[in-house]
Amino acid sequence: MQLSRRAFLAATGAVAAPLLLPGCGFVGGSGGSGGGTGAEGTLTFTTWGTDAELAGFRSAIEAFQQANEGATVELNAVPYEQMFTNIDAQLQAGNPPDIFRVPYYTFGAYAGAGQLLDLSSHLSDGVQDQFTETAWAAVQNGGSPFGLPHHTDTSAILYNKTLLDAAGVTDVPTSVDDAWSWDELGLVADRLKAGLPSGTYPFAYNWQGNGVTRWLSLLFQADGAFLDTDQRTPLIDSDAGRSAVEFSSSFFRNGWVPDTDTTTSSTYAADTWFSGTVAMVWSGAFQIPDADSTADFEWGVTYAPVGVRGGGDFGGNALVATQATGQPELAASFLEFVTAREQMQGFCQAASLLPTRPDLLDGSLSFDVRPETTDVFVGQAGQVQPQDAAQVASPSMSGIIPVLKTQLDAAFLGSQDAAATVTAMAQGIADATGA
Amino acid sequence: MREVPRRPRGESLAAYGFIAPNYALLGVFVLVPLVGAFVVSLQRTDGFGDGEFVGAANYARLVTDPVFWRALATTAGFTVVVTAASMALGLATAVLLNSVLPARGLFRSVLILPMAVSGVATALIGVLVFDQNNGILDKLLGAVGLPEVNWQSEPVPAFATIVLVTIWWRTGFNMLIYLAGLQGIGPDLHEAARLDGANSWQRFRNVTVPLLGPSSYFLVVLNVIYSFQVFDIVFVLTGGGPQGATNVLVTYAYDTGFVTRDQGYAAAIGMVLLLLAVVFAVVQWRASRTRDLVE
Repeated sequence: MQLSRRAFLAATGAVAAPLLLPGCGFVGGSGGSGGGTGAEGTLTFTTWGTDAELAGFRSAIEAFQQANEGATVELNAVPYEQMFTNIDAQLQAGNPPDIFRVPYYTFGAYAGAGQLLDLSSHLSDGVQDQFTETAWAAVQNGGSPFGLPHHTDTSAILYNKTLLDAAGVTDVPTSVDDAWSWDELGLVADRLKAGLPSGTYPFAYNWQGNGVTRWLSLLFQADGAFLDTDQRTPLIDSDAGRSAVEFSSSFFRNGWVPDTDTTTSSTYAADTWFSGTVAMVWSGAFQIPDADSTADFEWGVTYAPVGVRGGGDFGGNALVATQATGQPELAASFLEFVTAREQMQGFCQAASLLPTRPDLLDGSLSFDVRPETTDVFVGQAGQVQPQDAAQVASPSMSGIIPVLKTQLDAAFLGSQDAAATVTAMAQGIADATGA
Repeated sequence: MREVPRRPRGESLAAYGFIAPNYALLGVFVLVPLVGAFVVSLQRTDGFGDGEFVGAANYARLVTDPVFWRALATTAGFTVVVTAASMALGLATAVLLNSVLPARGLFRSVLILPMAVSGVATALIGVLVFDQNNGILDKLLGAVGLPEVNWQSEPVPAFATIVLVTIWWRTGFNMLIYLAGLQGIGPDLHEAARLDGANSWQRFRNVTVPLLGPSSYFLVVLNVIYSFQVFDIVFVLTGGGPQGATNVLVTYAYDTGFVTRDQGYAAAIGMVLLLLAVVFAVVQWRASRTRDLVE
């Protein structure tokens, strides 16, 4: 084969070029009309979502447009994988949508960087009282609300009844007061391990990827905290921190979870449950429609365990308006409309998600799919404390998440003990928050 | 030295006209972002608003960052193993498929097929094969009485999975280039060598391999650069784990830039990656001048 020098250099240049791409961001094209460049009364709204979630958003938009003549909302639905590279690129280019959807653990990064609209002066009086104290705490930055909590989700335990029955575990908690203690969970796990076929494990925990914040449930159950109320000072180097790391590491040491269940794994916990590799899995309610249509075994839901106290991760998403929006009043009014009782109820019931309004947590909610599981998830959500949710709204979460992932991985699969793990976590968190 | 004949002016203009669109695109989509990435690498920034200019601080931080050095070592190890193995396999299959083999057109097509599959899809196939709970490979190993391997939770087997999947993906391309090279070697040289008493191995070693020099050179450079920029296969197959064992430079840069949001530092990692690729290409170029060997 003959290759001229010039052709070769051109080919080399072309091949080397993509090396630079990781550093230079992604330019999305959602066509936001922020900055008032769109038609009068038009809002752009970027979100990802399951089919049920997107249907819920579409019907909310339609109702909003009917209730507000002259207002239109353009929905831009994108895959989750592209959502935040897209949003970041638009924010960087000064062309963001007016409104977008954001997980609580990512919210702080945007609010702290001055990218979101401070809603204090745009919301109706008394809006705060419509939300649970926990949900309101999750959208605060520097004492002001920068979004409205649209829904939450928290992890309970989905169990494969066939496997549990086969191992002789027939008594699962049916009320939040009866939830297994950590010790009882250990005993159940040992019984399952003894009774399950080889290659099958008692459970899997859903802390992979950014889901590592779900490990914090164990920290909260140990009555611990990872950040002080200033959202900067690390508090994880504590007895509670060591206890949570020690307990979760014992899942691996005792063979209660597959080794692939670690925080850095590319295998999601739910997949091992669907395939029958594990008997139980920590899971949010959002998984119920999938479980209903996919699982080829009988399954049920029970409560997550209780340590020193009950506790859980505050998952879910807020809706936020961007600082650059040209229509702050209209944007705030849309956020209020979508989080009003009727809209939130319809959205949460169709998509199997938990509401953030106390007037929907009084027994009036019922999931469209497997409605009997609703009370378990609502009861589990009642275990989440406001001070726990507030920590996850830290502007430094994007720096804290990799620290938790790496250190827990070292404790789970490596030989790092609990004391060294929490010390390293505290150091990493301090680096991330600048404390 | 041979005199280069002067070309008519119009012909030169036409030539510049033909390459202008390429250079314009290269400028807009490569050179401008390249300069932009370099500027970002001199800043401390989360990507929002104006970054803080920190000079070479991000580069100084690289020197003392153990994760960076480990990722660099992993990338280098991956590059050496994958380049050597996929080129050797590519050459072996090309020689085989250049001979009078029945249905060789079919075999050639089958080997080239992986090239048409995207990296993400390739990695997803890898997940199905190497999943240590439900994967095909462990089930096969178990069926023949061999011990199952923890492909996903132990560092060395996990590294092996990204190497094996990449080799599967890339061997067909290497074969294609070698096959083109082999077909440019006239049968008279082999015939002459045979008359001189050379056996098959001697003919392969002393006729075929030297005449494949330009192909080998091209493939070394391309394989090394492709390996240095490996991302999709690692990202999907192992996510950089377990315990950072498969974390390569680009996955580290990605995590730093888009998860931790330390975009200045991520850009610095990207610049180092570029520098390594360019230095390698230049060194190879200078060292291999004598290998522009043709019949």
